[in-house]
Amino acid sequence: MKCEEIKPHLMAYLDGEIEQEKKGEIEKHLSECESCRKEYQSFVKLKEVTNKMRFADLSDELWAGYWKRIYRRIERGTGWILLSIGAIILLSFGVYQFFKEFLLDPYVSLIVKVGVSIFALGAIILLVSIIRERLFLFKTERYGEVEK
Amino acid sequence: MDQDQQLIVQLKKGKMKAFQKLVEKYKKPAFFIALGLVGNRDDAYDLSQEAFIRVYANMRKLNPKLKFFSWFYTILSNLCKNHLRKMAVRKNYIKSSMANTEMKHLKQRALSPDVLVEKNEIALRLWEEIKKLPFEFKEIILLKHFQGFSYKEISEMLNIPMGSVMSRLYYARKKLKDNLKDVFN
Repeated sequence: MKCEEIKPHLMAYLDGEIEQEKKGEIEKHLSECESCRKEYQSFVKLKEVTNKMRFADLSDELWAGYWKRIYRRIERGTGWILLSIGAIILLSFGVYQFFKEFLLDPYVSLIVKVGVSIFALGAIILLVSIIRERLFLFKTERYGEVEK
Repeated sequence: MDQDQQLIVQLKKGKMKAFQKLVEKYKKPAFFIALGLVGNRDDAYDLSQEAFIRVYANMRKLNPKLKFFSWFYTILSNLCKNHLRKMAVRKNYIKSSMANTEMKHLKQRALSPDVLVEKNEIALRLWEEIKKLPFEFKEIILLKHFQGFSYKEISEMLNIPMGSVMSRLYYARKKLKDNLKDVFN
């Protein structure tokens, strides 16, 4: 086997995942090729160093709250979906009624119709803006329970 | 049927208890993989949870015959990739607007040596170099060295053949080794 062919297999040899029939071939190559032997030794060193590196664990409290936080987020997500569907249905019905009972009513003067329409539009814009801001804050400030 | 497959079948029937068991089983590897990929504890905690929430939202697509963690890893890895992309965009924006304090905060957030157990010089340097690796190299190093997955498991998680696992690992380790030349000498 040529050096270039053997290189990826050096990884399997290093990690103890080499197939039995390849093992002999690699050992033979390593005993004959100084350059590959040196490279293999440097990989051994790297593995030793990386094996010593460990990530610090989280506190027991955070692990204990892990599932609760996921559950709460799923619950809130479901709540928001149901709330939105309900709001859309009610709003559609309200708009329909508004048109039918108020805007198309010949006894209501035009100036009142325009005033009420502008007022309703302003209230809807404000409501949507507040909901959007609340949602943005909810999405971006998720780290309240995580240790800094 | 193994335990995960049974839990997935129950989850698809809407049993929350089964989902809780899956979360409890995989929360640690999920968190530590995310931590290795994004380098920050807060973000890793949040991203790993977000991945579980996406599993729940897409449970209809879950195939009990496939390995749960391989499927889960794809979601987690994509979330981490997007997060890193967003952070890079934010960093570039801040760099261009010369907001020094914010830049310093971002750098500290990215380095965060508090994620390591031993904070000796070699470990810190190694961590710094791992984080500089391209995403594909970083993930394979993390999966092999820190999570101890086998080549077969990595091949399933990354959806690449075994030969590619070996060659990617070779080039990832080679790059890491070259970047740490001064430490080894």
